[in-house]
Amino acid sequence: ANMKLILIFAALIGVSLCLETFVGHQVLRIKTKNEEEVKQLQLLESLEHLELDFWINPSAPALPVDVRIPAVSVQSVKAFLESQGIEYSILIEDLQDVLDKEKQDMAKSAQRQRSSSFDFGAYHGLDDINEELDHLASEYSFVEKIQIGESYEKRPLYVLKFSTGGSERPAIWLDAGIHSREWVTQASALWIANKIASDYGTDASITSLLDKMDLFLLPVANPDGFVYTHTSNRMWRKTRSKIPGSICVGVDPNRNWDAGFGGPGASNKPCSDSYHGPSANSEVEVKSVVDFIKNHGNFKAFLTLHSYSQLLMYPYGYKCTRPDDYAELESLGRAAASSIRSLYGTTFQVGTICKTIYQASGGSIDWSYDNGIKYSFAFELRDTGRYGFLLPANQIIPAAKETWLGLKKIMEHVRD
Amino acid sequence: RAMELPPSHFPAARAAAVAMGYLRYLRGGPGRGLELRELRRARRQDIDDVGHKYYLELELEDVLDKDRTVNCTAEVLYHLGSKTSAPDVQVTVQGELRSTEEADEEFYNWIRSLEKELVAENIPDSHGNVPPELEPIHLLAWVASGYVIWQNSTGNTKFHLAQVKHVKQVKRSDEDLQFDYVLLLHEMVSQELLPWQVTLLWHPQRGARVSQ
Repeated sequence: ANMKLILIFAALIGVSLCLETFVGHQVLRIKTKNEEEVKQLQLLESLEHLELDFWINPSAPALPVDVRIPAVSVQSVKAFLESQGIEYSILIEDLQDVLDKEKQDMAKSAQRQRSSSFDFGAYHGLDDINEELDHLASEYSFVEKIQIGESYEKRPLYVLKFSTGGSERPAIWLDAGIHSREWVTQASALWIANKIASDYGTDASITSLLDKMDLFLLPVANPDGFVYTHTSNRMWRKTRSKIPGSICVGVDPNRNWDAGFGGPGASNKPCSDSYHGPSANSEVEVKSVVDFIKNHGNFKAFLTLHSYSQLLMYPYGYKCTRPDDYAELESLGRAAASSIRSLYGTTFQVGTICKTIYQASGGSIDWSYDNGIKYSFAFELRDTGRYGFLLPANQIIPAAKETWLGLKKIMEHVRD
Repeated sequence: RAMELPPSHFPAARAAAVAMGYLRYLRGGPGRGLELRELRRARRQDIDDVGHKYYLELELEDVLDKDRTVNCTAEVLYHLGSKTSAPDVQVTVQGELRSTEEADEEFYNWIRSLEKELVAENIPDSHGNVPPELEPIHLLAWVASGYVIWQNSTGNTKFHLAQVKHVKQVKRSDEDLQFDYVLLLHEMVSQELLPWQVTLLWHPQRGARVSQ
């Protein structure tokens, strides 16, 4: 009797604390043999003071009846069933035990999920990156992984398409890693992809952006080069295409676009790190992007990530004259650099490619601008030379975060 | 007669890189790594039959003491036409750089106490890591690369130290420490990575010099 009292007390306290406890609750499976027994169970069901919780209600003799019985009533219900000759078995001896174990399992699983999830603050190889692209595409309904072509060594060129609907909406292009040794760019692109995907619906700016426009993100624009930086030469920049008549390999993919191709600031020597290639768009990595953008026909912005030097540049590179939209691009560039600086104080210099870094022909944003995509910008991310290409991994996320603010500023302007 | 230049444009930035190379060679050490925080002002003067001279105002920081900065003025003269002559550089540091006496002594004693000559490679590694005990070796590489950059810069180049490929300590009978470096220099305009062998001698009181 004392036991019963304690249990009733505990249950009452549990209820008053809004804490349901199922200590001592049992779940019985009752096998009825005939209609008479079913009626008996329905009678039991009507006794509300017993607080029986039928998981399967008594309906027909052939079907089992599952019922959860609060601790206080367990003995009396069993006594009743036995006195009526109704067969039963114990499905769950103590429900609280089962619930506790389930909680434990869930916690373990959640931990496993967290630790097997992608570490954005570390450098990854191509396979891991592609896996994460798949993960993002599967986790978010508005994110899709598409293939726009193949590299020279036949690796797929994967683009993440962010689209919440519509058809052929005005679009923004963002790529990273066209120069494979610039590791902070591929790494930042992954962080940015995750940021956009996870903030849609909660961040007002991203939500209104994706509600009006599509975003296409190519995180590894030069996968052959990227793999080569992992396997053979960390400082590799170019593609890995064989050049007829030369022992040297690879073309500088950012001198290969059809914008002042072959002009100053690009080399005609195959062994050079700024070799422009045998002809414009000779590199499949470049041609695939060109074709994709031309076929789409509705891109409004073309943004590309490089490292290092902390610069935010707009056309032109192949000539040192100002673009027609100079005033707007300069002003937007300054606003973006200001946003970048607001986070950690990192300063980006703003200007045309030709004035800021060097004259360079065959560059991607010159091509995009001359093909009607007004908002064409090239970012050079951290740092200014202390680590250069070998930026420590602990700077990936800060670099990604500040860069994202700059990109967002530009995208918001394009949207409006 | 000196033209004001936008510090964000490359001619000023290239001249600043030369000044920094020179500064690192002169004032850098295992306990001091000088970085350019900001190029505040740049002017250029074209001198007939001589070359182009840049007047720069730099704000410097020591990577081991980032909370403060030191101002510095520099003059960089690129000689006309001469491909074999290094730019003339003059620098004036306004104020005091943090003293590195203690760190220098510690480093000196540590290297002298090593039984086997120190050997290391790939500093930083692919992921940007530098083991803490090798940071002084890294900073001495900045001194060595500073010399190379100063000596080999023209108006059409901008060098940075990309990586220490290899470093080997060579024990000497005199009191200097000797490090034979293979450095990878990144030249920004051509985008080439150029390997360079440099032998650096260093002493806590006498400072650094590149051995020819």
